[in-house]
Amino acid sequence: MKCSALARVALLGALCLLPVVACAEQLLRLPAATDAGPARPLVIHAALDLPQARPLLEDFHRRHPGIDLIYRNLTTLELHERFLDHPDEVDVLISSAMPWQFALANDGHARPLDSPHLEAWPAWARWRDELIAFTFEPIVMVIHRELADIAEPPRNHAELLALLNTHRQALAGRVASYDPVRSGAGYAYAMQESQLSPRYWDLVAALGGVEAELVETTGAMLDGLKEGRFLIGYNLLGSYAAPGVAAAPDLEMIIPDDYALVSQRLALVPRQAPNPQSAELFMDYLLSLEGQRTLAEETSLGAIHPALTGPGTATQLRERLGDALRPPGLGPGLLAGLDRLKRQALLARWQREFRRALATDDSADSVAAD
Amino acid sequence: MNPAGSLYGRLLAWLTLPLLTLGALLLLQAWLEARATADRAYDRLLDAATLAIAEQVQWQDERLWLDLPPAALEMLAGDAQERVFYSLVDQQGRHITGNARLPEHPGASAASGDTLLYRDIERHGMALRQGIRRTRLEDWRSGEPFEVRVAHTREGRDALRLELLRSNLAGILAMGALAVATLLLAVRAALKPLTRLRHAIRARDPRTLKSLDLELPRELAELREALNELLARMRRVRANQERFIGDASHQLRTPLAGITARAELALRRQEPEEWRTALETVHSTSERTARLAMQLLSLTRLDNPEYRPELHPVDLNDCVRQAVRDHWVACHQAGIDLGADCLPSPLRVAASEWQLQEALANLIDNSRRYGAHRITLGVLSDPPRLFVEDDGPGIPAERRLLVLRPFHRGRDDGEGSGLGLAIVDGIARNHGARLDLAESDSGRGLRVEMRFPEAPT
Repeated sequence: MKCSALARVALLGALCLLPVVACAEQLLRLPAATDAGPARPLVIHAALDLPQARPLLEDFHRRHPGIDLIYRNLTTLELHERFLDHPDEVDVLISSAMPWQFALANDGHARPLDSPHLEAWPAWARWRDELIAFTFEPIVMVIHRELADIAEPPRNHAELLALLNTHRQALAGRVASYDPVRSGAGYAYAMQESQLSPRYWDLVAALGGVEAELVETTGAMLDGLKEGRFLIGYNLLGSYAAPGVAAAPDLEMIIPDDYALVSQRLALVPRQAPNPQSAELFMDYLLSLEGQRTLAEETSLGAIHPALTGPGTATQLRERLGDALRPPGLGPGLLAGLDRLKRQALLARWQREFRRALATDDSADSVAAD
Repeated sequence: MNPAGSLYGRLLAWLTLPLLTLGALLLLQAWLEARATADRAYDRLLDAATLAIAEQVQWQDERLWLDLPPAALEMLAGDAQERVFYSLVDQQGRHITGNARLPEHPGASAASGDTLLYRDIERHGMALRQGIRRTRLEDWRSGEPFEVRVAHTREGRDALRLELLRSNLAGILAMGALAVATLLLAVRAALKPLTRLRHAIRARDPRTLKSLDLELPRELAELREALNELLARMRRVRANQERFIGDASHQLRTPLAGITARAELALRRQEPEEWRTALETVHSTSERTARLAMQLLSLTRLDNPEYRPELHPVDLNDCVRQAVRDHWVACHQAGIDLGADCLPSPLRVAASEWQLQEALANLIDNSRRYGAHRITLGVLSDPPRLFVEDDGPGIPAERRLLVLRPFHRGRDDGEGSGLGLAIVDGIARNHGARLDLAESDSGRGLRVEMRFPEAPT
């Protein structure tokens, strides 16, 4: 089935680059062991950076050496486009662009899975057994230690709002966030947050008030923070920020405790997959305790399997943050994010709110009093 | 099932058959009803979703504008995780926004006011239920008509239908089981009197012919009455038999008593002539008694309803000639004129020859005993008839039926046994023939005619 031309245009304009820092195409090939019988090919297209994906792929290949594995890391847009052009060249499709993945499944592009692990898989992390969420990546704030010179670091959105409003001059130009217009991930987060609370628009206005730098990727924000250009990074993808923060002693990662968005990678097996058996094998691995344990221990993606506890698991995050975690429900509500008019309306509002403080820039106090 | 097999089985079959048909119809209705109900329930979701979307449609920048509420899409998918499609279409049928180009409804084009349309469609091999809301903008400047089309897959509806059907099915099955159980009990109860009747008949003393007095339902009461009528007839038959036996023993005792008396009288005498006379009397009496015993025996045989003689074609002419040959000498010695009046051609009827001979012998004997001088045997055709005519005293018309009964003698003066005509009557009945007693043609004497049924030859 071909995507309609209209949807294609919307696609190009809409979710541009999700938080994949990758360059155009990264390829990883794990050839089949020569003594493991006839090679069974498996083609995975993913929007998942190699450092995060490699431990999983290598562990999987160790368990199934007969698989001739080709892994392509693409941007979410490339991934989607390429799939619609050639729906029969890929066996497993992994992407963090949840609405797009959902739209594919909703249109009947996905093959229902028959994995023994599905029973144990939480219902909120699968849809019709066609679409599986297998990671749990909170959206975080990252602050530079220098911020302590100005004020107490914010622990949640309310404190961030207050901080931005009270220290407008001091923070001017030193806050970074996603640009919802150019970044698909930024748009997705804006969409979710605007639905969570109308106070989000005050936060957007406050971000506008401090003339926040709007960037396209988590990597860009992280780089600026490391260099000390930014004091606060808002809405970074936790799984990508965590290794960077761990390596930079000046940085601190904060998961807001009032609400924290959660991004999830969604995997599906296309209906026209050339090697469905290999695909099933890989999906089985993703859902299995072993795969999830590798995910928890060797990546920062966050394991979902309910039997896993400890660092790097959703269970632990939930224990710590409880109801504050807001993974987007795997449901048709996601489709609203792809609506062309909806996007235009939201972005228009976002830009209006972002410029609100500048337009009515009489005094910082008037904004702070808001 | 063998139709004559069992009343119980027949009743059950005839009651169960309509019950099963009814059950099947109920199931079919439940199936259709469940589908309609599930669709009605889920169409409300289409209704609500289109309304939620329609409320967000605005006129902006000289065009239709929609701020799609995600909840409207969530609404369309329940636990069954249906696939969801929506589309906003303007008056000219142009697709404004949506994730699928849903087809328009072939029904009437945009009418005034809100119109809701539902129907089943198919899209890329998926069975969908589509809901279309036709409405117009409630705006100061523009009353632009537009259509909101939504659709979702049928999993939720199918699940609800199955659930409804299952609960209905449980009800129907329970009712069916109840009906069958009631049926079994009812049929058993209805047939109970039959068992009682059987027990009552089986428990009877085989010697008693008393009528049954058992409380029974109407249909069986009729059977009981029929049985009682049969019993009553049997009682009469037995009474007749008892009287016959009484008569027979009386008839046998009388000559035996005479023999005893005559012998005693002779024994008291010394003269051998007296002995001889007595012996002659004893001899003739015992001969008559032996003949009486023979007649009794043959009458008993003829009266047995189980007895069916083998019938062969017999020429009545031959029969008559044979009888004349057998009895001519004896009649001639007694000075009686015995004649035959035969037909020129043979006339065959199905008969037992020895029985016909017996009947003719009895009739000849009867006529002789009552003093006839001229006896004529004859055959007539159309219908086949056998007759014996004499010139004796005859029998008055009012006694002609009575003489057919055993031991009833036409005339009290004779020495006959009173069995002759009863035997002839029995033989006639065995042949399906009618026995007519009349005056002979000459105006006096007796004419006995045996009229055989018309037999196809």
